[in-house]
Amino acid sequence: MKKQLGLSLVLLVSLLLATASWAGSFRIVTTTSTLGMLAEEIGGDLVQVRVLAAPDRDAHDLDARPSFMAAVRRADLLIEMGAGLEEGWLPAVTGNAANPAVNYGRPGHLRASDFTDLRPSITVEGPNTGHVHEEGNPHFNLDPDRMARVAQVIGRRLGFFFPDQAEELEARAEALGQQLRDHAGRLAAQVKPNQQFIIYHEDLDYLEEWLPVKNVGYLEPIPGLPPTSSHLRALVQEFSGQEGRVLYANYQPSRGARFLEEHLGWPGYALPLEPAIGSGLEGYLNLMTEWAAAFEQK
Amino acid sequence: MNKFALKASAMAVAASLSSGVLASEHNLDMRVSLILDGIYFNELKHGAHSPAGFGGGHDHGHDHGHSHGIEEGFNLGHSELAFEASLGELLDGVLLLGFDNDHIEVEEAYLKTRSLPAGFQVKGGKFLSDIGYINSRHSHDWDFVDRPLVNEYLFGDHGLQETGIQATWLAPSDTYTLIGVELLQGENAEVANYIGEQEAEDGTDRILKDRAGPRLLTAFTKWAPDLGHDHALQLGASGGYSFSYQYTDQHSTRHEDWEGTAWFAGVDAVYKYESGRSYGQGNLTLQAEYFYREIDVDRRDVNFEADGNGPIGHIRNVSSFKNKQDGLYAQAVYGFLPRWEAGVRAEALGLTNDLGRGDGTSHDASFRYSGQLTFRPVEPIFLRAQVNHNDFAEEGDGHSHGGWDLMLQVNVALGAHGAHTF
Repeated sequence: MKKQLGLSLVLLVSLLLATASWAGSFRIVTTTSTLGMLAEEIGGDLVQVRVLAAPDRDAHDLDARPSFMAAVRRADLLIEMGAGLEEGWLPAVTGNAANPAVNYGRPGHLRASDFTDLRPSITVEGPNTGHVHEEGNPHFNLDPDRMARVAQVIGRRLGFFFPDQAEELEARAEALGQQLRDHAGRLAAQVKPNQQFIIYHEDLDYLEEWLPVKNVGYLEPIPGLPPTSSHLRALVQEFSGQEGRVLYANYQPSRGARFLEEHLGWPGYALPLEPAIGSGLEGYLNLMTEWAAAFEQK
Repeated sequence: MNKFALKASAMAVAASLSSGVLASEHNLDMRVSLILDGIYFNELKHGAHSPAGFGGGHDHGHDHGHSHGIEEGFNLGHSELAFEASLGELLDGVLLLGFDNDHIEVEEAYLKTRSLPAGFQVKGGKFLSDIGYINSRHSHDWDFVDRPLVNEYLFGDHGLQETGIQATWLAPSDTYTLIGVELLQGENAEVANYIGEQEAEDGTDRILKDRAGPRLLTAFTKWAPDLGHDHALQLGASGGYSFSYQYTDQHSTRHEDWEGTAWFAGVDAVYKYESGRSYGQGNLTLQAEYFYREIDVDRRDVNFEADGNGPIGHIRNVSSFKNKQDGLYAQAVYGFLPRWEAGVRAEALGLTNDLGRGDGTSHDASFRYSGQLTFRPVEPIFLRAQVNHNDFAEEGDGHSHGGWDLMLQVNVALGAHGAHTF
């Protein structure tokens, strides 16, 4: 018995030591890959970043997986988009990850939507059938200007954890934000103005915040409800004889877009909404280029 | 009681219609949700009511209704009203009321810490034990209308649901490793039945004694490697020991009393494949559990009326015996179209089915096979059709000619998003 006790003590101590040695690297867990890109670009060698949601999946619709809890268990900083994007699974992750450092309200928890205004969500007015974004549209990773603001917040937050490098971190965040805004400006200047487009779910409408384009409708009759034929026919009737495009996320079904392409002649574009994990700033800039290329260029 | 249920649900409906959130700035303060469930049940072909060795009578002291009290025709299934709140960053609190046609019950009411260091969490109150996989899940999270036989007959109609405390430790590793223990009051009729001291009959004490709670200790571990975005696997092992298992049955002239202990142990596994396509198309879930239960008791009968064997207070049938029983299920659910799922489940109950009472009996195993089809028109609603084929062993002479059941279910979740746990 005594020997066993001794053995388990040794085990416990070595585990604690192991924990201590991991603490050498500052661990950031982000829900989406855009946030992961910002954290990586700003934190550089100081941090180690883990992204939870696969970039090619709907971030609304995930399970609170055990591996997520394992990741958050050791996180020094948890960064989420907020505004209901991760509402279906992140509370279950943080509630079971046994890591008080990333509780909401602590420096170890950063909710990006707390630091920027959002586009109003159409889900707030409609009948409550799908999911409701009561705080606004949470898909603001599609807006480089808002992401530049988030970058600044991440820079300041990292500066809190690394006071010696705070100035450098904030400068890096500032420069990163500038790169996002510059690229957005260049792309916007190339797009022929006043183009209209229809999207599947309220997410890609953030493009009209920085490109000279206008979102005029949704394939979903109500957010969360798949396109119905009567709704699609109504869209065809409304826009018959006009020009436009249909944009949708690459994980959303293409059928509604194909219907409009057939009946209105509007070309459809299946677009990724998040950059590949680990593709860095370049990955996000290329993604912006891809979004802008869905429109007619000058 | 009923009135309260109605009032409370009306309140929740009002809350959910307005926003799904009460008194909240960040969605974190108070979440209310209402789950409404309706079941249509039709016994297409009559089979044995309960599996041999698990029915009423003397087997283990608990008489089951048919399929969790589901009657033929329309049923207000298992509806729930859930409140979740956080006390700052210290605690999460959950109150979950379950109700059906004629009663309302506190299913869960607990506090769980979120501020202890080093990976520890403590939960206290009334809750569903974390043993196994399905035990801690509410019926609207199930892939089938009904509870698996092994959970229903080894732990009861509500599973292992007890009042007590739970402590867990989550290891600081990339592989999810959770270890937990639970100290529970021990009131579960199937593994921790408790009666307490009974009045002596003409000076003859009964074998049943008072025993202070907590009387049930459980332990569990869950292990889940990180397999990337497409695949997820969780393996679990759990067990429990009940310091007291008591049972009494009143015959025409005597009390039959059992006093002893019980233990159980089991393993569970869940695998999920997520295709990444929309509305669950291409997703696959495989799930299986096995549990074994042993009841180890002393029996002593006491006359409360004089009969041919002796006067009031006469003692007889003094013996010691064990009941050993087990069960398992395995199921698969596949999203074959957007918003459509189909699933199959195979179950065995009593592969070991040895009852020690009297000269001892060994019953055959019972089997059940189920198929289900589920349609989710929008996120918070599902419609489900399920067919069960029962092949239950009869207590007397082998297997009954199997029965067929049809169940149709409508389930609607109103209000705040329930979190999608794994």
